[in-house]
Amino acid sequence: MNEKKDIQIITRPTKAEIEQAKINFSPRCTSAGRVNDKETQKTVQFILNFARKHSLFLLAYGTGCGAIEIPATLTSRYDAERLGIRGAATPRQADVLMITGYLSVKTLKRVIRVYEQMQDPKYVVAFGSCTINGGMYFDSYNTIKALDRYIPVDVYIAGCMPRPEAVLKGFAKLQELIQNGNAGNGECYRKNLDWYRANQQKVIKNWNFPDEYNW
Amino acid sequence: MENWLYELTGFVLTILLAFTVGMFYGGLRRKVIARAQNRIGPPVYQNFLDLLKLQGKTTNIHHGVMSHLAPVWVIVAATASLLFIPVLHGGLWFPNLTFKGDLIFLLYLMVFGSLGMALGVGESGNPNGAIGVSRGLSLMVGYEIPFVLSLVAVMLQFHTTSLTDLMHYQQLTGHWIALENPFAFLSALFAVLGMFHYSPFDIIGAPAELASGPMSEFGGKYLGSLMTGGSIFAFVKLVLITDIFLGGAGHPELYTGLAGVLIGLGELILKTFLLYMIPVSIGIVMPRFRTEQAVRFFWKWPLAFGITGIIWGLYHQINF
Amino acid sequence: MELMIFFLIITAGTLITFFIDDISRKLTGYAAFLTILTGIVYYASIPMGTVWQMHLLGFDLKWMRSPAGDFFAWIVLGLGLLSLMYAIKYMEGKARLGYFYAAFLVSLGAMTGVTISRDIVSLFIFWEIMTWSSFLLAIYKAYYGVETKGIKYILFSSMGAYAMLTAIVFIVHYYHTTDLNTLWQAGAFGFSRHWFIPAFMLFGFAVKAAVMPFHVWAPGVYTRTPMAYTSVFSGAMSKMGIFGMLLIVAGLSRLDIGWIRFILGWAGGITAALATLQAVRQNDAKDLLAYSSIAQLGYIVTALSTGTRMGLMAALYLAVLHAAFKGALFLVAGAVEKQAGTTDFREVSGLIVRMPWTFFTALISVIALAGVPPLGGFVGKWLVYESLITETHSYFLVIVIFFASTAAFLYAYRFLFGLFLGQQEHNTEDVHEASWWMLVPMLVLSLVSILTGVFPGLVFKPAAKALSDLHLPSDGWQMSILHNAWNNGVDTITVGSTIVILFLLTAAFITLKGRKNTRRTGTKDISTSGEIPQPDDNLNFQSGFFQPFERAIGKPYRWSMDRIWTDIGTSLAAFFRFLRKIYTGNAQTYVFYVIVFLIILLLFRKQIF
Repeated sequence: MNEKKDIQIITRPTKAEIEQAKINFSPRCTSAGRVNDKETQKTVQFILNFARKHSLFLLAYGTGCGAIEIPATLTSRYDAERLGIRGAATPRQADVLMITGYLSVKTLKRVIRVYEQMQDPKYVVAFGSCTINGGMYFDSYNTIKALDRYIPVDVYIAGCMPRPEAVLKGFAKLQELIQNGNAGNGECYRKNLDWYRANQQKVIKNWNFPDEYNW
Repeated sequence: MENWLYELTGFVLTILLAFTVGMFYGGLRRKVIARAQNRIGPPVYQNFLDLLKLQGKTTNIHHGVMSHLAPVWVIVAATASLLFIPVLHGGLWFPNLTFKGDLIFLLYLMVFGSLGMALGVGESGNPNGAIGVSRGLSLMVGYEIPFVLSLVAVMLQFHTTSLTDLMHYQQLTGHWIALENPFAFLSALFAVLGMFHYSPFDIIGAPAELASGPMSEFGGKYLGSLMTGGSIFAFVKLVLITDIFLGGAGHPELYTGLAGVLIGLGELILKTFLLYMIPVSIGIVMPRFRTEQAVRFFWKWPLAFGITGIIWGLYHQINF
Repeated sequence: MELMIFFLIITAGTLITFFIDDISRKLTGYAAFLTILTGIVYYASIPMGTVWQMHLLGFDLKWMRSPAGDFFAWIVLGLGLLSLMYAIKYMEGKARLGYFYAAFLVSLGAMTGVTISRDIVSLFIFWEIMTWSSFLLAIYKAYYGVETKGIKYILFSSMGAYAMLTAIVFIVHYYHTTDLNTLWQAGAFGFSRHWFIPAFMLFGFAVKAAVMPFHVWAPGVYTRTPMAYTSVFSGAMSKMGIFGMLLIVAGLSRLDIGWIRFILGWAGGITAALATLQAVRQNDAKDLLAYSSIAQLGYIVTALSTGTRMGLMAALYLAVLHAAFKGALFLVAGAVEKQAGTTDFREVSGLIVRMPWTFFTALISVIALAGVPPLGGFVGKWLVYESLITETHSYFLVIVIFFASTAAFLYAYRFLFGLFLGQQEHNTEDVHEASWWMLVPMLVLSLVSILTGVFPGLVFKPAAKALSDLHLPSDGWQMSILHNAWNNGVDTITVGSTIVILFLLTAAFITLKGRKNTRRTGTKDISTSGEIPQPDDNLNFQSGFFQPFERAIGKPYRWSMDRIWTDIGTSLAAFFRFLRKIYTGNAQTYVFYVIVFLIILLLFRKQIF
């Protein structure tokens, strides 16, 4: 008879609550809906974007299960190097940060530091459903459920985990976004730093980042 | 005054030539490695795209004056060495500064770049970079010994320390010095393997082991400039070995003018490409030596070849 | 007479400096500096070729200001002036300054005396004064361990000096004169005649020039002397050994030069190679510089041993350059020691931000040491290689020298990385730049390295005069063109200007392109796989910096000349302990011996007499 008191009654949220949640939790920096407002230097931008899309240095930060698909994509069968993608060893040299699956809170701290050490324009490619809505670990206490609350994401590649063909298609989509000038959220991250920091500090308990932001 | 303009054009064209050919060789190398691994690989102009992208980075980070200037030292050493090496025979290509410096001077000038980059790497404070520098300098002691042995063998055999004289000899007689003193050539080949830092001597910038060593803190325009310097330097090394051992390029007595230049350049590109394929193809199949294994390797057979080259040169001395 | 006045000035200045220390400790440095300044001004005013002769105790002493001696005298006086200027601030607040500066001035005067000597006996007198005055400075710092190193120094110097004295005795016996000119004409220093004369003289000079195997005193003494004097010790005093060897080489015939080339050449080469290997291993800047000095002197000795036109010029040129860059490097080490407290690489690092001018001096001097164009060290190295390849054809010696020269890049880089580059630590936060009294001498020495790289003729002209004064080959030296026996050469102005122009263009490009987007970060913001280094995390890589190289070399690192000398000393001590059993020191035993001897004489007088 006592269990009846422990049952939590879940009611449907109201329309106002849904609208408020959309404002609170929607990511500040996405590629969708970004306006390419550079009218000047169109040719220069075109050439630079062409170079950027055909020369992606990948920081293969194998953070989760999806990491085993990266060697398969880079090696002989699915050859990502013909798209100009090659590996970079450190964030200073890299353009693209690959988040390959779930991120525990511990790894999130390192990923944020790595993301901040990269140089603009920088892109984030998120693998797997764990980055979209928590995926398989949706009810775990120490993974994060939505990646773009913490760092801005350019391209999601759905799957669990995505096959190399899906990875290549994701990179093709990234190339399209780069050509249109819709990718590269480093500047947006800087502008919305407070929002991102608030989200990050909500989950990361032992915060020891240096005070001044690192670009 | 127009002499000054002519010289400046010569400098600029030589540097452009070295830059273009070097970058294409980088792309070709990636293509060859890809084909050896049964895949398609990037297009041959890939290095140009990489360079454009790196120079187009909108933020750049450095760690101080020396770190900022590190790529500058590499480019200065590469370009300065380039200006002192004759590209083609005789009067086909611009003389640049080829009569103002000799082989021993070139030896020391080529070291300048890596020393400057090492200082820049040191200032960043990254211990991976410092470890990479220590390995790189140790390796340099390794491969410089067979290299200087082969150069001394050639110098004493032909009684000259000037590069133009050696090319002149090869043009006069039509013999390649590689065949006149094969041991010196072998010794120089081994040293060139070490100079290119491809496997088995790529312990310096091992990406997974050492976070690419000295290059770990360079990004954006610095990495782009380092790539440029590296390409020009690769061209310099190849042309140096071609000029000393493989007979140089160009036939001024047969073709002159623009046709002569084009044919000469074609021959130069052919010879340097074939020479370049030696370190590249060895690099595709070999695993990596540890630093002390690599250094000791250069003091075994390459040293023996070098000493044999000197003794051979002593017996076959030519005074021309 | 003028030469005697010069020494009287130095002596008077020494006495004034010594006693002024009791009046006011602040004035001692300035007094010493003024003394040497007066001495230099007076020395410059003495006309070339002035002679002073004196008959002392049966010997004819002859002093002359000659071009050969003048070349070395200016190295001594110039470096001494700059070091004394540096010492004013460096030695501030230390004890017994009168003792320090008095011994400093006496050694400078004695070194000048060595260079103006034109006979063997006055050379020896000044040599000895030089030795004991530098010994006084070697034991200046009064803590444990300093005296043992000082005693090692005086022991080896004494062995050399006794050998020189023996040689002088033989010279007087065979040639009945002590005048250098007469001895040169008689060929007294040739190995084909009495070989022990040049051998013993060379032994004496080799100890000062730290040639293997007599170099063992140098690392201990160079590091434990105050850095202001070590620059003179390593920069100028070792050149006195070179000067002595030059005097020997001057009097040799074509036949004898072969011996010298073989013995001295290989001694120099092996010194250079082995000392370089030891320098690579050191963890303290002062030890590194000490072994590096021994190695660089090896190059100079090898160059000198060739006896050819380019080899001798290489030796003299490298002598000047070595005084400039090694003097500057020791002054840099002293500046770091004074400002940061220690020169151990493992304790101090990242000083480039705090001491930029010191770093600039260190950078220029290290580039000159490494022998990289367009600075001066390259010209010296070029001359050494060319003389060995084109003139004496000693190809294997070239390989040894080249090995030493390439391995020199290792310790050259380590010096800069260990002290100035690398991580910036907390314990160097309150280090500030050295004072201008210390910076100006260092910058002047760097300027010498830079200028002689583009205009090597600035050194060639006086050196050619010095060599022709000794009747050695010295023709055809130009201001900025080097050429060798096969008529190939280097044009240093072209080289220097090309490199400078290319550097300015490329630096301008890389600085101006995207300058609004370029940001400087600290040494803690490095790619450490996402970890955030805390202020007290140690990311400084200093221990075992060249471990791969040490492993590659292997066995030569276990050789130690010091151990060999210690073993000789121990076995001699054992022998002496055995002798002690006979010569017991007990008077009664000695009386017993005398009585036994008399008894034997009495018993066997018929058979003996």
